[in-house]
Amino acid sequence: MSRSRYLYFWASLTLIVVGASSSKAQDLVPVISGAAGFIYSKDSGQTALQPILSPVVLIPLGSKLLVESNVEMQGFVARSSPGGPYEGQYFFSVNYLQLDYVVNSHLTIVAGRFLSPFNIFSERIGPIWIQNFQDGPLIYPIGTRTSGSSDGGMIRGVVASRPGWLLNYTAFFSALNNSEDFAAGRAAGTRVGLFLPKANFEFGASYERFLQDHHSNSYGGYFVWQPTTQLSVKAEYAHSPQGQGYWIEGAYRFRESGPFGRELKNIQPIVRGQQFYRLAPGVNDALPQADTQRVDFGLNYYFPHEIRLNGSYGRQFSSTGNSNNWTLDLTYRFLSPVPFWPKGGR
Amino acid sequence: MSRSIFVVFAMLMLSLLVTLRSGARPQQGNAAPKTTASKIDESAEGEKRFRTNCGRCHHPPEDLSPREARAVIRQMRVRAMLSAEDERLILKFLAP
Repeated sequence: MSRSRYLYFWASLTLIVVGASSSKAQDLVPVISGAAGFIYSKDSGQTALQPILSPVVLIPLGSKLLVESNVEMQGFVARSSPGGPYEGQYFFSVNYLQLDYVVNSHLTIVAGRFLSPFNIFSERIGPIWIQNFQDGPLIYPIGTRTSGSSDGGMIRGVVASRPGWLLNYTAFFSALNNSEDFAAGRAAGTRVGLFLPKANFEFGASYERFLQDHHSNSYGGYFVWQPTTQLSVKAEYAHSPQGQGYWIEGAYRFRESGPFGRELKNIQPIVRGQQFYRLAPGVNDALPQADTQRVDFGLNYYFPHEIRLNGSYGRQFSSTGNSNNWTLDLTYRFLSPVPFWPKGGR
Repeated sequence: MSRSIFVVFAMLMLSLLVTLRSGARPQQGNAAPKTTASKIDESAEGEKRFRTNCGRCHHPPEDLSPREARAVIRQMRVRAMLSAEDERLILKFLAP
């Protein structure tokens, strides 16, 4: 176990013990949720197997505080060379370990390691039990930079809320951290979103200033629209000095009351289109090296007990070579109180 | 940020936790007794707010006890920037 993991382990354990003493009085129970998944993918003829365990620990403290943490343990098994034996690698990452202090609806103060709030993919759609396509969007590295997480402080909340609209905001600062499991870039940024409940439509904009090496700006926009309870449409646009692009995704969940409703209610067709345009050469920026277009089609099937089977096919077009991408994954979402908790039980 | 700074930061966070916790008061006990009808109304309103605020990203959990729901909804209050009223009503829906 490396020093940073050792530190993470003891910090988590200490927080749980502190939480134990303060949560009992209010009948608040710490929870372990998250998901386990297994992904089979065939990308440009290369087969890969990826088991993933992504637990989330929530420790409510009193009426205003919450400690939340998510780590991801992921294996990656693939052939080292064409026709060669399968070899495995193992990755561990701390996505967030943060303390939230809910002052009121207008202000929540967050300290620690948190998901970089640039656009919405990372914070809202990123977890493996939520996202419809297991490979992230082409533009994902824009704004999230190094690890997708930030180390520092963040404020967020609702500026104002009326029956017809709600304006929310987020602002953060992150320090540079080069440690193995808590890597983050020095950056500051903000996001503002406007939600129109009657239309079930939210749109917003993000800005981030990267404050190290060659200082640079990234900005983007997003929208989420649910015209009906069955249909959901999400999209993001992002721009950085290295490139710009967008993705748009639609998902449709069949009505239980419609024709063949009982058979179709657990099925969700999904489709996503993406374009990326390279503006300047980049080294290790995780973006495609050339202009790229991609379209994905998929199907979610929801089994009982929070099990989801997903299959998708994607076709990618690029001057560096076109490719087919197949993915099949199974995810199980779990949620339970922390085992052996005082006053146990649900 | 060196590791030693991180350790100091973690200790400060713990101190803050303990300090703030000592001043925190439970929210229980301030709710007036509800009739069955009003509980149903609140659950229906909670479902509506869940569909509006949470349903854009995910489906409702299948089985959630009241104790678990309190922790989960606290996280979602931060993540989805819910109001205190949203939190209360969605809790009624998830774990009536």
